[in-house]
Amino acid sequence: MEGASYARMPRVKIRELKDDYMKFELRDTDASVANALRRVMISEVPTVAIDLVEIEVNSSVLNDEFIAHRLGLIPLTSERAMAMRFSRDCDACDGDGQCEYCSVEFHLRVKCITDQTLDVSSKDLISSDHTVTPVDVPGGDASIESDGRGIIIVKLRRGQELRLRAIARKGIGKDHAKWSPAATVTFMYEPDIHINEDLMESLTLEEKKEWVDSSPTRVFDIDPVTQQVMVVDPEAYSYDDEVIKKAEAMGKPGLIEITAKQDSFIFTVESTGAVKASQLLLNSIEILKQKLDAVRLSEDTVEADDQFGELGAHMRGG
Amino acid sequence: MDPLPEPVSYLCGDCGVENTLKSGDVIQCRDCGYRILYKKRTRRIVQYEAR
Repeated sequence: MEGASYARMPRVKIRELKDDYMKFELRDTDASVANALRRVMISEVPTVAIDLVEIEVNSSVLNDEFIAHRLGLIPLTSERAMAMRFSRDCDACDGDGQCEYCSVEFHLRVKCITDQTLDVSSKDLISSDHTVTPVDVPGGDASIESDGRGIIIVKLRRGQELRLRAIARKGIGKDHAKWSPAATVTFMYEPDIHINEDLMESLTLEEKKEWVDSSPTRVFDIDPVTQQVMVVDPEAYSYDDEVIKKAEAMGKPGLIEITAKQDSFIFTVESTGAVKASQLLLNSIEILKQKLDAVRLSEDTVEADDQFGELGAHMRGG
Repeated sequence: MDPLPEPVSYLCGDCGVENTLKSGDVIQCRDCGYRILYKKRTRRIVQYEAR
Protein backbone atom coordinates (compact mmCIF):
# COMPACT_ATOMS: atom_id res chain seq x y z
CA MET A 1 0.00 0.00 0.00
CA GLU A 2 3.05 2.24 0.48
CA GLY A 3 2.86 5.18 -1.91
CA ALA A 4 -0.42 4.08 -3.41
CA SER A 5 -2.45 7.07 -4.46
CA TYR A 6 -6.17 7.05 -4.30
CA ALA A 7 -6.47 10.45 -5.90
CA ARG A 8 -9.09 10.57 -8.62
CA MET A 9 -9.41 13.10 -11.38
CA PRO A 10 -12.97 14.34 -11.31
CA ARG A 11 -14.42 15.99 -14.40
CA VAL A 12 -16.96 18.78 -14.52
CA LYS A 13 -19.17 19.52 -17.49
CA ILE A 14 -21.35 22.58 -17.36
CA ARG A 15 -24.69 22.09 -19.01
CA GLU A 16 -26.50 25.31 -18.32
CA LEU A 17 -25.29 28.59 -16.92
CA LYS A 18 -27.25 31.68 -15.96
CA ASP A 19 -26.50 34.35 -13.38
CA ASP A 20 -28.56 32.70 -10.69
CA TYR A 21 -28.87 29.15 -11.98
CA MET A 22 -26.46 26.44 -12.99
CA LYS A 23 -26.64 22.79 -13.95
CA PHE A 24 -23.51 20.67 -14.26
CA GLU A 25 -22.26 17.11 -14.29
CA LEU A 26 -19.62 15.92 -11.85
CA ARG A 27 -17.99 12.64 -12.82
CA ASP A 28 -15.26 10.25 -11.66
CA THR A 29 -15.60 11.00 -7.98
CA ASP A 30 -17.72 9.68 -5.12
CA ALA A 31 -20.74 10.72 -3.12
CA SER A 32 -18.64 12.02 -0.22
CA VAL A 33 -17.02 14.63 -2.48
CA ALA A 34 -20.29 15.53 -4.18
CA ASN A 35 -22.04 15.96 -0.85
CA ALA A 36 -19.14 17.94 0.65
CA LEU A 37 -19.38 20.31 -2.29
CA ARG A 38 -23.13 20.65 -1.86
CA ARG A 39 -22.86 21.31 1.85
CA VAL A 40 -20.07 23.87 1.46
CA MET A 41 -22.09 25.76 -1.15
CA ILE A 42 -25.07 25.97 1.20
CA SER A 43 -23.44 26.74 4.50
CA GLU A 44 -19.80 27.76 4.21
CA VAL A 45 -19.47 30.14 1.29
CA PRO A 46 -19.44 33.62 2.84
CA THR A 47 -21.75 36.47 1.91
CA VAL A 48 -22.55 39.86 3.40
CA ALA A 49 -25.83 40.40 5.24
CA ILE A 50 -27.25 43.00 7.62
CA ASP A 51 -26.38 41.90 11.15
CA LEU A 52 -26.96 44.91 13.38
CA VAL A 53 -29.79 47.44 13.18
CA GLU A 54 -29.97 50.73 15.08
CA ILE A 55 -33.48 52.11 14.91
CA GLU A 56 -33.96 55.83 15.44
CA VAL A 57 -37.64 56.18 14.63
CA ASN A 58 -40.16 53.49 13.87
CA SER A 59 -43.83 54.40 13.80
CA SER A 60 -44.72 51.69 11.28
CA VAL A 61 -47.08 48.83 12.03
CA LEU A 62 -44.22 46.35 12.33
CA ASN A 63 -42.23 46.28 15.54
CA ASP A 64 -38.47 46.94 15.69
CA GLU A 65 -37.46 43.29 16.03
CA PHE A 66 -39.64 42.30 13.09
CA ILE A 67 -38.06 44.95 10.85
CA ALA A 68 -34.53 44.09 11.99
CA HIS A 69 -35.16 40.45 11.13
CA ARG A 70 -36.53 41.33 7.69
CA LEU A 71 -33.52 43.53 6.95
CA GLY A 72 -31.20 40.67 7.85
CA LEU A 73 -32.82 38.40 5.29
CA ILE A 74 -32.30 40.76 2.33
CA PRO A 75 -29.62 39.31 0.03
CA LEU A 76 -26.76 41.73 -0.63
CA THR A 77 -24.30 41.54 -3.53
CA SER A 78 -21.30 39.75 -2.04
CA GLU A 79 -18.64 39.39 -4.75
CA ARG A 80 -16.24 40.98 -2.28
CA ALA A 81 -17.13 38.68 0.64
CA MET A 82 -14.35 36.16 0.01
CA ALA A 83 -11.76 38.93 0.42
CA MET A 84 -13.45 40.56 3.41
CA ARG A 85 -12.70 39.81 7.05
CA PHE A 86 -15.02 38.33 9.60
CA SER A 87 -15.71 41.09 12.10
CA ARG A 88 -14.75 38.74 14.95
CA ASP A 89 -11.17 38.49 13.67
CA CYS A 90 -10.81 41.99 12.30
CA ASP A 91 -8.13 43.83 14.25
CA ALA A 92 -8.81 47.19 12.61
CA CYS A 93 -12.01 47.65 14.58
CA ASP A 94 -14.46 45.89 16.85
CA GLY A 95 -17.06 45.30 14.16
CA ASP A 96 -18.90 48.54 14.82
CA GLY A 97 -19.29 49.43 11.16
CA GLN A 98 -16.51 52.00 11.06
CA CYS A 99 -14.13 49.59 9.39
CA GLU A 100 -13.96 49.09 5.62
CA TYR A 101 -12.45 45.59 5.92
CA CYS A 102 -15.28 43.88 7.72
CA SER A 103 -18.48 45.90 7.52
CA VAL A 104 -20.72 48.00 5.33
CA GLU A 105 -23.08 50.65 6.63
CA PHE A 106 -26.63 51.21 5.38
CA HIS A 107 -29.06 54.03 6.02
CA LEU A 108 -32.80 54.04 5.63
CA ARG A 109 -34.89 57.20 6.04
CA VAL A 110 -38.45 57.16 4.78
CA LYS A 111 -41.64 58.95 5.77
CA CYS A 112 -45.03 58.72 4.18
CA ILE A 113 -46.56 62.15 3.61
CA THR A 114 -49.32 61.29 1.17
CA ASP A 115 -52.63 59.48 1.49
CA GLN A 116 -51.28 56.66 -0.63
CA THR A 117 -49.60 53.71 1.06
CA LEU A 118 -45.83 53.92 0.72
CA ASP A 119 -43.89 50.73 0.07
CA VAL A 120 -40.49 50.74 1.76
CA SER A 121 -38.26 48.38 -0.18
CA SER A 122 -34.65 47.26 -0.37
CA LYS A 123 -34.20 49.99 -3.00
CA ASP A 124 -34.55 52.57 -0.21
CA LEU A 125 -31.47 51.24 1.59
CA ILE A 126 -28.56 53.60 1.02
CA SER A 127 -25.24 51.74 1.05
CA SER A 128 -21.92 53.24 2.07
CA ASP A 129 -20.18 50.90 -0.38
CA HIS A 130 -21.31 50.69 -4.00
CA THR A 131 -20.04 47.11 -4.32
CA VAL A 132 -22.40 45.92 -1.56
CA THR A 133 -26.02 46.72 -2.38
CA PRO A 134 -29.32 44.86 -2.11
CA VAL A 135 -29.58 42.42 -5.00
CA ASP A 136 -31.32 43.60 -8.13
CA VAL A 137 -34.57 41.77 -8.50
CA PRO A 138 -34.90 41.37 -12.27
CA GLY A 139 -37.92 43.10 -13.75
CA GLY A 140 -38.43 40.74 -16.69
CA ASP A 141 -40.29 38.03 -14.84
CA ALA A 142 -43.87 39.18 -14.37
CA SER A 143 -44.97 36.00 -12.59
CA ILE A 144 -43.86 37.24 -9.17
CA GLU A 145 -43.92 40.60 -7.45
CA SER A 146 -40.49 41.39 -8.85
CA ASP A 147 -41.17 44.35 -11.11
CA GLY A 148 -37.91 46.08 -10.34
CA ARG A 149 -39.20 47.62 -7.14
CA GLY A 150 -36.95 45.66 -4.83
CA ILE A 151 -37.89 43.58 -1.80
CA ILE A 152 -40.63 45.12 0.31
CA ILE A 153 -39.59 45.69 3.93
CA VAL A 154 -42.69 47.42 5.33
CA LYS A 155 -45.61 49.57 4.18
CA LEU A 156 -46.28 53.02 5.64
CA ARG A 157 -49.50 55.01 5.82
CA ARG A 158 -49.71 58.80 6.11
CA GLY A 159 -47.57 60.14 8.93
CA GLN A 160 -45.64 56.95 9.61
CA GLU A 161 -41.87 57.03 9.51
CA LEU A 162 -38.90 54.68 9.56
CA ARG A 163 -35.36 55.88 10.22
CA LEU A 164 -32.48 53.52 10.92
CA ARG A 165 -28.83 52.62 10.47
CA ALA A 166 -27.87 49.06 9.65
CA ILE A 167 -24.51 47.32 9.66
CA ALA A 168 -23.85 44.46 7.26
CA ARG A 169 -21.15 41.92 8.04
CA LYS A 170 -19.53 38.94 6.44
CA GLY A 171 -20.83 35.59 7.63
CA ILE A 172 -21.61 32.01 6.62
CA GLY A 173 -24.80 30.03 6.32
CA LYS A 174 -23.77 27.76 9.19
CA ASP A 175 -24.12 30.70 11.60
CA HIS A 176 -27.41 31.93 10.19
CA ALA A 177 -29.31 31.01 7.03
CA LYS A 178 -29.42 34.69 5.99
CA TRP A 179 -25.75 34.35 5.01
CA SER A 180 -26.36 31.37 2.75
CA PRO A 181 -25.71 32.29 -0.90
CA ALA A 182 -27.62 29.24 -2.11
CA ALA A 183 -31.34 29.02 -2.60
CA THR A 184 -31.09 25.32 -3.44
CA VAL A 185 -28.22 23.00 -4.21
CA THR A 186 -29.12 19.44 -5.14
CA PHE A 187 -27.43 16.55 -6.84
CA MET A 188 -28.79 13.30 -8.21
CA TYR A 189 -27.07 10.10 -9.21
CA GLU A 190 -27.15 9.55 -12.93
CA PRO A 191 -29.45 6.57 -13.59
CA ASP A 192 -28.26 3.62 -15.65
CA ILE A 193 -31.28 2.10 -17.39
CA HIS A 194 -31.21 -1.34 -19.02
CA ILE A 195 -34.25 -2.67 -20.84
CA ASN A 196 -34.45 -6.43 -21.32
CA GLU A 197 -35.20 -6.30 -25.06
CA ASP A 198 -36.29 -9.94 -25.37
CA LEU A 199 -38.77 -9.60 -22.54
CA MET A 200 -39.96 -6.25 -23.87
CA GLU A 201 -40.71 -7.75 -27.28
CA SER A 202 -42.98 -10.30 -25.61
CA LEU A 203 -45.34 -7.42 -24.78
CA THR A 204 -48.08 -6.26 -27.11
CA LEU A 205 -48.10 -2.64 -28.24
CA GLU A 206 -51.01 -2.05 -25.91
CA GLU A 207 -49.06 -3.42 -22.94
CA LYS A 208 -45.99 -1.39 -23.85
CA LYS A 209 -48.08 1.80 -23.88
CA GLU A 210 -49.55 0.90 -20.50
CA TRP A 211 -46.10 0.24 -19.07
CA VAL A 212 -44.62 3.46 -20.52
CA ASP A 213 -47.52 5.43 -19.03
CA SER A 214 -46.95 3.91 -15.59
CA SER A 215 -43.95 6.15 -15.05
CA PRO A 216 -44.98 9.38 -13.28
CA THR A 217 -42.28 11.25 -15.22
CA ARG A 218 -41.68 10.90 -18.95
CA VAL A 219 -38.64 8.62 -18.99
CA PHE A 220 -39.71 6.21 -21.75
CA ASP A 221 -41.59 6.46 -25.01
CA ILE A 222 -42.48 4.22 -27.92
CA ASP A 223 -40.72 4.69 -31.21
CA PRO A 224 -43.54 5.47 -33.70
CA VAL A 225 -41.72 3.62 -36.49
CA THR A 226 -40.30 0.48 -34.89
CA GLN A 227 -42.81 0.40 -32.01
CA GLN A 228 -39.96 -0.33 -29.65
CA VAL A 229 -39.74 1.10 -26.16
CA MET A 230 -36.93 3.61 -25.89
CA VAL A 231 -35.46 5.75 -23.15
CA VAL A 232 -36.09 9.40 -23.97
CA ASP A 233 -34.91 11.10 -20.78
CA PRO A 234 -33.08 8.95 -18.22
CA GLU A 235 -32.66 11.92 -15.86
CA ALA A 236 -36.40 12.37 -15.58
CA TYR A 237 -36.41 9.14 -13.58
CA SER A 238 -36.88 9.96 -9.92
CA TYR A 239 -36.01 6.55 -8.48
CA ASP A 240 -39.69 5.98 -7.74
CA ASP A 241 -39.63 2.24 -8.74
CA GLU A 242 -43.05 2.64 -10.41
CA VAL A 243 -42.00 1.06 -13.72
CA ILE A 244 -40.34 -1.83 -11.88
CA LYS A 245 -43.48 -2.49 -9.84
CA LYS A 246 -45.57 -2.22 -13.01
CA ALA A 247 -43.37 -4.78 -14.77
CA GLU A 248 -43.80 -7.15 -11.83
CA ALA A 249 -47.56 -6.57 -11.78
CA MET A 250 -47.66 -7.43 -15.49
CA GLY A 251 -45.88 -10.69 -14.72
CA LYS A 252 -42.60 -9.61 -16.30
CA PRO A 253 -40.06 -9.22 -13.51
CA GLY A 254 -36.64 -8.27 -14.84
CA LEU A 255 -38.16 -6.34 -17.75
CA ILE A 256 -36.19 -3.32 -16.63
CA GLU A 257 -33.15 -2.78 -14.47
CA ILE A 258 -32.32 0.66 -13.15
CA THR A 259 -29.22 1.35 -11.11
CA ALA A 260 -27.63 4.59 -9.93
CA LYS A 261 -24.13 5.25 -11.28
CA GLN A 262 -22.07 5.67 -8.12
CA ASP A 263 -19.56 8.09 -9.63
CA SER A 264 -21.71 10.44 -11.72
CA PHE A 265 -23.69 13.31 -10.30
CA ILE A 266 -25.93 15.93 -11.80
CA PHE A 267 -25.90 19.14 -9.80
CA THR A 268 -28.48 21.91 -9.78
CA VAL A 269 -27.42 25.18 -8.15
CA GLU A 270 -29.72 28.13 -7.56
CA SER A 271 -28.23 31.30 -6.12
CA THR A 272 -30.01 33.96 -4.07
CA GLY A 273 -28.26 36.57 -6.20
CA ALA A 274 -25.63 37.38 -3.56
CA VAL A 275 -22.99 35.76 -5.77
CA LYS A 276 -23.37 34.36 -9.27
CA ALA A 277 -24.04 30.63 -9.44
CA SER A 278 -20.73 30.06 -11.26
CA GLN A 279 -18.82 32.05 -8.64
CA LEU A 280 -20.62 30.14 -5.89
CA LEU A 281 -19.20 26.88 -7.21
CA LEU A 282 -15.68 28.33 -7.55
CA ASN A 283 -15.82 29.79 -4.04
CA SER A 284 -17.03 26.49 -2.60
CA ILE A 285 -14.11 24.62 -4.16
CA GLU A 286 -11.73 27.24 -2.76
CA ILE A 287 -13.16 26.79 0.74
CA LEU A 288 -13.05 23.01 0.49
CA LYS A 289 -9.36 23.31 -0.42
CA GLN A 290 -8.71 25.55 2.59
CA LYS A 291 -10.35 22.96 4.83
CA LEU A 292 -8.23 20.18 3.37
CA ASP A 293 -5.09 22.29 3.89
CA ALA A 294 -5.95 22.58 7.57
CA VAL A 295 -6.24 18.82 7.84
CA ARG A 296 -3.01 18.22 5.95
CA LEU A 297 -1.02 20.62 8.11
CA SER A 298 -2.27 19.08 11.32
CA GLU A 299 -1.43 15.54 10.24
CA ASP A 300 2.11 16.05 8.91
CA THR A 301 3.82 18.10 11.55
CA VAL A 302 3.87 18.18 15.29
CA GLU A 303 4.91 21.84 15.15
CA ALA A 304 1.59 22.68 13.60
CA ASP A 305 -0.06 21.65 16.85
CA ASP A 306 0.07 25.24 18.07
CA GLN A 307 -1.92 26.38 15.07
CA PHE A 308 -4.31 23.51 14.72
CA GLY A 309 -4.05 21.97 18.16
CA GLU A 310 -7.58 20.79 18.59
CA LEU A 311 -7.92 19.42 15.08
CA GLY A 312 -4.49 17.76 15.30
CA ALA A 313 -5.45 16.02 18.50
CA HIS A 314 -8.68 14.95 16.91
CA MET A 315 -6.92 13.52 13.87
CA ARG A 316 -4.67 11.41 16.09
CA GLY A 317 -7.72 10.12 17.91
CA GLY A 318 -7.08 12.20 21.04
CA MET B 1 -23.82 54.78 30.82
CA ASP B 2 -25.82 57.93 30.23
CA PRO B 3 -24.94 60.74 32.61
CA LEU B 4 -28.56 61.76 33.06
CA PRO B 5 -31.18 59.11 32.38
CA GLU B 6 -34.14 60.66 30.65
CA PRO B 7 -37.27 60.43 32.78
CA VAL B 8 -39.70 57.86 31.45
CA SER B 9 -43.08 59.24 30.45
CA TYR B 10 -46.36 57.38 30.42
CA LEU B 11 -49.82 58.14 29.05
CA CYS B 12 -52.88 57.71 31.24
CA GLY B 13 -55.25 55.06 29.95
CA ASP B 14 -58.28 57.11 30.96
CA CYS B 15 -57.67 60.83 30.45
CA GLY B 16 -54.57 60.58 28.22
CA VAL B 17 -52.49 63.04 30.18
CA GLU B 18 -48.71 62.56 30.16
CA ASN B 19 -47.15 61.39 33.44
CA THR B 20 -43.50 61.06 34.38
CA LEU B 21 -42.66 58.26 36.79
CA LYS B 22 -39.51 57.40 38.68
CA SER B 23 -38.75 54.03 40.20
CA GLY B 24 -40.68 53.48 43.42
CA ASP B 25 -43.52 55.77 42.41
CA VAL B 26 -47.08 54.56 42.68
CA ILE B 27 -48.43 53.63 39.27
CA GLN B 28 -51.29 56.09 39.15
CA CYS B 29 -52.29 59.04 36.97
CA ARG B 30 -51.56 62.36 38.68
CA ASP B 31 -54.67 63.98 37.20
CA CYS B 32 -57.46 61.43 37.48
CA GLY B 33 -56.01 58.65 39.65
CA TYR B 34 -56.49 56.01 36.98
CA ARG B 35 -54.15 53.07 37.58
CA ILE B 36 -53.45 51.95 33.99
CA LEU B 37 -50.58 53.79 32.32
CA TYR B 38 -49.05 53.21 28.88
CA LYS B 39 -45.31 53.59 28.29
CA LYS B 40 -44.24 55.83 25.41
CA ARG B 41 -41.65 54.78 22.89
CA THR B 42 -38.16 55.91 23.76
CA ARG B 43 -36.57 58.65 21.70
CA ARG B 44 -33.24 56.97 22.11
CA ILE B 45 -31.71 54.79 19.38
CA VAL B 46 -32.39 51.12 19.98
CA GLN B 47 -30.12 48.38 18.74
CA TYR B 48 -31.13 44.94 17.48
CA GLU B 49 -29.37 41.90 16.08
CA ALA B 50 -30.84 41.09 12.69
CA ARG B 51 -31.34 37.38 13.47
